[in-house]
Amino acid sequence: MFEENPANPVAAETNGSSAAAQSTGTSADTPNSATSGELSEAASPGNSGGEAPSAARTVAVALAGWLLPGLGHALLKMWGRALAIFLTVGFLVYLGAGMRGNVFEPGGEDAFARLGYVADAGTGSFYFVARALESAGPDVSHADGDYGTRFLATAGVLNLLAALHAYEAARGRKA
Amino acid sequence: MVPLHFSHFQSLLLFALIISLAFGTLGRRKPIERVKYAAWSFAMFLLVGIALGWLMYPFSK
Repeated sequence: MFEENPANPVAAETNGSSAAAQSTGTSADTPNSATSGELSEAASPGNSGGEAPSAARTVAVALAGWLLPGLGHALLKMWGRALAIFLTVGFLVYLGAGMRGNVFEPGGEDAFARLGYVADAGTGSFYFVARALESAGPDVSHADGDYGTRFLATAGVLNLLAALHAYEAARGRKA
Repeated sequence: MVPLHFSHFQSLLLFALIISLAFGTLGRRKPIERVKYAAWSFAMFLLVGIALGWLMYPFSK
């Protein structure tokens, strides 16, 4: 289901191929044993020269991943993860809005509302999708709405986690 | 959009399934490890969720 780019050593290793592991002299089971140079090159498909990834590029990858779930991994040609993140975050937002969860707005009255907004905004552009989908407004008087609020917050936190993962992968720390 | 209605258990199942898939995809490299981790995570979500539900049951009366 999740085909990764075979030209990308990280992606090939993700698929369980031993070719990438042999080319870098590392085992697929022990990816952390590679030197930092190998990992940097492996995690940066466009960085064929082997130089360290630029800070601007890694930050751009993280920001892209936040703005559109999965885009950060897509830029790294990690297609399977990109698709999985896009679908999971998108499905959580769809369910949360469909269950009429609370989509918090900026400038909340208390700490919970402000924290809720931070979590919801973690979905990036999907925050506006949630608001557009929830045309009837939130209804947390039933359990559905309460669960929907958690689904939306979880979507945001999950997307932030994925953006951080893309950032680390772009830096060559893990993939 | 049409409002969605789920029972508590259905919500738990959906949540556990989606988050487990995401954890498995992000947390592991090899496909078989991803499946194992996602299955383990899904089972733990259900087990802990149901256990906590029963623990809180006496306080609901």
